[in-house]
Amino acid sequence: MPRLSGQQKRKKHYRPSGKKREGNAAKFITRTRAVHYLQLSLPMFRKLCILKGIFPRVPKKKVEGNHKTYYHMKDIMFLAHEPLLDKFRDIKAYDRKIKKAVAKKNKDLAIRLKSRRPNYQLDPLIRQRYPRFIDALRDLDDCLTMVNLFAALPATESTRLDVERIHNCRRLSHEWLAYVARTHSLRKTFISVKGIYYQAEIEGQKITWLTPHALQQVVPDDVDFNVLLTFLEFYETLLAFVNFRLYHSINVEYPPILDPFLEAEAADLFALYRFFSAGSRRTFGNSQIGGSEEQNEVRLLPASEPGALMHLVENASVDDKDDKETKECKSLFKNLKFFLGREVPKDSLLFIIPAFGGTVSWEGDGSPFGETDEGITHQIVDRPSQGHVYLSREYVQPQWIYDCVNARIILPTEAYMVGRVPPPHLSPFVDNEAEGYVPEYAETIKRLQSASRRRVLPVPGTDDGDLDDPQHLLAEGVIDRTQAQEASEKKQELIKLEKQYHDELNMELQGISYSESLLSKKAESSSIGAEEKLEDGLDAEEMAATDATSMSKVVMSRKKRKLYEAMQISKERKRSGVKLLKERKKKAEQSSAP
Amino acid sequence: MAKKRVETKKTPPLPPLPPPSTPPQEMPEEEIPGEEAGDGSGEEDGEGSEGGAEEERGESDAGVAEESDSSEDEEEHIGYDIAGKKIRKQAKRDKIDSFLAGVDDSKNWRKIYDEYNDEEIELTKEERRLIGRILKGKTPHADVDPYAPYVDWFEWEEKGMPLSGAPEPKRRFIPSKWEHKKVVKYVRAIRKGLIKFEKQKEKPRFYMLWGDDSSSAENTRHGLSYIPAPKPKLPGHDESYNPSVEYIPTQEEINSYQLMYDEDRPKFIPRRFESLRNVPAYESAIRDAFERSLDLYLCPRTRKKRINIDPESLKPKLPSRKDLKPYPSLCYLEYKGHRGSVKSISVQITGQWIASGSTDGTVRVWDVETGRCLKVWEFGESIQHVAWNPLPDLPLLAVSVGQDVVLLDTGLGNAEEQFRAKELLHVEEDDAGQCDTKPLVRWLRHDKLDAIRLEHSKAVSSVEWHFKGDYFITVAPTILIHRLSKKLTFNPLKKLHGLPVSSVFHPSRRILFIATKKNVRVYDLSMEKPKFMKKLEPSIREISSVAVHPGGDNVIVGSKEGKLCWFDMDLSSKPYKTLRAHPKDITNVAFHRSYPLFASSSDDCTAYVFHGMVYSDLNQNPLIVPLEILRGHASSNGRGILDCKFHPRQPWLFTAGADSVIKLYCH
Repeated sequence: MPRLSGQQKRKKHYRPSGKKREGNAAKFITRTRAVHYLQLSLPMFRKLCILKGIFPRVPKKKVEGNHKTYYHMKDIMFLAHEPLLDKFRDIKAYDRKIKKAVAKKNKDLAIRLKSRRPNYQLDPLIRQRYPRFIDALRDLDDCLTMVNLFAALPATESTRLDVERIHNCRRLSHEWLAYVARTHSLRKTFISVKGIYYQAEIEGQKITWLTPHALQQVVPDDVDFNVLLTFLEFYETLLAFVNFRLYHSINVEYPPILDPFLEAEAADLFALYRFFSAGSRRTFGNSQIGGSEEQNEVRLLPASEPGALMHLVENASVDDKDDKETKECKSLFKNLKFFLGREVPKDSLLFIIPAFGGTVSWEGDGSPFGETDEGITHQIVDRPSQGHVYLSREYVQPQWIYDCVNARIILPTEAYMVGRVPPPHLSPFVDNEAEGYVPEYAETIKRLQSASRRRVLPVPGTDDGDLDDPQHLLAEGVIDRTQAQEASEKKQELIKLEKQYHDELNMELQGISYSESLLSKKAESSSIGAEEKLEDGLDAEEMAATDATSMSKVVMSRKKRKLYEAMQISKERKRSGVKLLKERKKKAEQSSAP
Repeated sequence: MAKKRVETKKTPPLPPLPPPSTPPQEMPEEEIPGEEAGDGSGEEDGEGSEGGAEEERGESDAGVAEESDSSEDEEEHIGYDIAGKKIRKQAKRDKIDSFLAGVDDSKNWRKIYDEYNDEEIELTKEERRLIGRILKGKTPHADVDPYAPYVDWFEWEEKGMPLSGAPEPKRRFIPSKWEHKKVVKYVRAIRKGLIKFEKQKEKPRFYMLWGDDSSSAENTRHGLSYIPAPKPKLPGHDESYNPSVEYIPTQEEINSYQLMYDEDRPKFIPRRFESLRNVPAYESAIRDAFERSLDLYLCPRTRKKRINIDPESLKPKLPSRKDLKPYPSLCYLEYKGHRGSVKSISVQITGQWIASGSTDGTVRVWDVETGRCLKVWEFGESIQHVAWNPLPDLPLLAVSVGQDVVLLDTGLGNAEEQFRAKELLHVEEDDAGQCDTKPLVRWLRHDKLDAIRLEHSKAVSSVEWHFKGDYFITVAPTILIHRLSKKLTFNPLKKLHGLPVSSVFHPSRRILFIATKKNVRVYDLSMEKPKFMKKLEPSIREISSVAVHPGGDNVIVGSKEGKLCWFDMDLSSKPYKTLRAHPKDITNVAFHRSYPLFASSSDDCTAYVFHGMVYSDLNQNPLIVPLEILRGHASSNGRGILDCKFHPRQPWLFTAGADSVIKLYCH
């Protein structure tokens, strides 16, 4: 090997080839390299990434190849300095000790070691990932969906899920639901095939989550539960802290202490409502002694009395701060009393109805009032036929509740009666106007809404409150526009008919016989032919339009042209989707008509 | 119904045993059960019964006393029946009642209270006897013989290998030292408080994590921006459990999904249920959650700028077309007469006549305004190119046919002009003989048409005149410049990079543009030898045509991929603007001599007319606005418009189509 001569000396700042200090090669690292760098196993790396919320990023230039995942070096350094990493290493070593003790049949030692296994806390991580409470709320969608899913899962060996964990999930989700119901912040609900979607608005954040249908879930065997359980671990902690904060914001103790009897009857939600009412009584008793006499009286009613309890839930929330929407939600089911049959989804309805200000009971132990109660206005049933019928109440299918909530009005119940196929259930998350296709039932609901609004508001012009709310005005405007259109169409039709009548009268006066008039009509039809020719002219116009677009395309830069074309493609796709829907609708109508 | 214990936690209490220290003294020795069943006197019986009763009372007291400690947590029921209902205990009789019952009932002493089953049992005689035997320490049954003859089972013979004859070691009798040490250690640890027996009270796990949000805002993520994961897509109408009918795909559509690629196939097929109770559990709920979590931690994230704009706003703001009038827009005249596709046209500089050459082997001259065909020449071979001499008083026409270029006297114009033309063409006759020696081109006399024939060695693709009308250039793969007045031909460029496609003279200066397939080369001809000036690189696949702006500083190049490049010679050698106008080959491009117009014709049967304004201010870039798409030609054999030329004075455009028609578009 030849020696380096004096002139061939290394440069002052020598860097071995292949080691980069700047640019994408230095900033980004592939996953395999990252795992080697951190001296971890892949499962542990995965766990750490999930808990810390580290995700791969897309580098501008993929130095190592196109099909690899790249992490930012700063992210990896962030992981490397994580105290949890050491903790995990400790736990791994400790587990090895236990394994060894078991292998050596040193039972005592194994038990003792197991009892003192080191534990770790996730709260610093939560604080790190969500420095502000609002950040946590923003990311709550997945958390709630996951916790609700696991609350519905069976505890099995294969999934390494224990009962306690499932109960914890269940409890957390109930706590969340109880908070949402109490603050009346639920906004939208939707029953889908996948489960029931809810959307709540808390501190200005729209939080959407999905709860599976309360049935036996299918547990697939090709799913890696390690990943899911790691996520769940984080989400459980997060949701507990979020619940803590939310409960404190409404002056309720956390964790709530529930009535064991109600808990045993699987009426956790109801138990929580009760806890709220009791808690509010306590706190209100402490803080504002000078509250109005009447309110205090209401609150001091025994909690076991059913109606009073629901009123408590209702009144307890702070009235002054509520915005308009909350008020609207709160008073939707006001003065209505519901009774749930055994076959309807109890958890969901027990959540929704109080969230919109209604009073609810169910068939079973611990319910506030029985089926025979005189005050019940609606009974929710989901069976082919109802045997014994009380005339004083209406029997509706559960979908009615969900549709009412989405429409924010009390819909007529005829279509939702027992034994009928209810009208289509529409998603509240779709903007029909933007989508370009408005289902028939959506239009019906809109009409009902406008009707009810008109009934409530005396005269739209005189009311000053109307002017303040642009949204309201807009809705009004839309409705007015559509109606104006309809009216104008009708008018035109009338004019047409009138004209025809006058023409015929004239003809009679002139003494033209019917056959002649037919002839003249033919002439008219020929004129229609001329119109068709005109349509050709329209084609020419279209041609001109396409010419114009193609000419403007000629001058566009390539980037803009590509963008324009992509937009056109997406538009076209949307249009074809709408067209397909319309075709299907037409076909369905044709098949149903004869 | 017989009461049955399902299960209780308690172990059944043992039958009451006498305290070992108080054996029954009164019981006579002879009273062995089984011996005196028949002849036992009443007295003895009475005594025995009393003694027994006393004993039992004492025992039961002791039992109560024993159990009184544990009876605090005792239940009021003894268990559950088969239906799950509690079996309650009988009400306890108080002492007086039990005493009175004992006095009244002579057999009371035999009764025992069974706590486990909560009932009173009357002992039979056999049972009483059994108990008596047990109390005496005898075997319970009389049949058992305790003194049966001894059978020695052990073999006393000497064995070869005895089990062990060693005496018991001492260590078996003394307490272990190491155990002692360990105990001492533990004791010390307990004293020091290292080992605690009561469990530490857990502090509450959850607390106010986000106490004050104001201070924590500075906690950014180690200098990297946090990219939140996109939220899951919200469900549409089709995911409803009871969607409208139109959202349900037909069976055929569902079947057609099978033929799709995996990526295109819809993941979710809408279904309809008549009522909520019919909805089953969603089978891929967990898989969906799993996929979502995979997306959350495995999917690379990046910030994509999603623009939400009206596509119309992308279109550039161009001046209105109306302001840029006049330009050719409507087909005004058609010149019909050719029987093959018209390959080339040329407009005379006065704008009075146009000449056209076609694949049917004829060259025709037309009157522009009337569309009348004035003259026809037959060549019998496909015409490649026609070009009028640019001098208005010299109505000569250069026609390239196969390997020849023919300079025709059209016979138009007045007598003086005719004479000049004749003279020019006449002189060549003498030179024709001399030309034999020249290897490049032979200037020959065309007898039939009274014209000059230049015989090239290879096929000539184009002929272009210099603006002064004396020189003309032919492209017969090599570039040749001819001088008409001297009847000379020379080859200025010995070496060319690439195959020349076409070449044009500068409209006012002595500059030559040569377009090869890849680029355009500019030569200065004012020197003795042509000097290379510039190379224009349009970076397109294949150049088909080139045209120079009358100002001379701007060049447009048409390509075979339908792109049109505008070069500003002063600006750069790269195109100032590339216009992607045609989907097919551009066949020709042309500038108008006076109006700011240029046009391109293509094989897709359209011709584009553009406004191309060049400003005298060098700082201002040329303005290019597409004005009109001219249609009307029919396609034949995949070819559309083959040539286009502007009228020299009017804003009119002539197009020559492969459908053997020439069209004139006027404003």
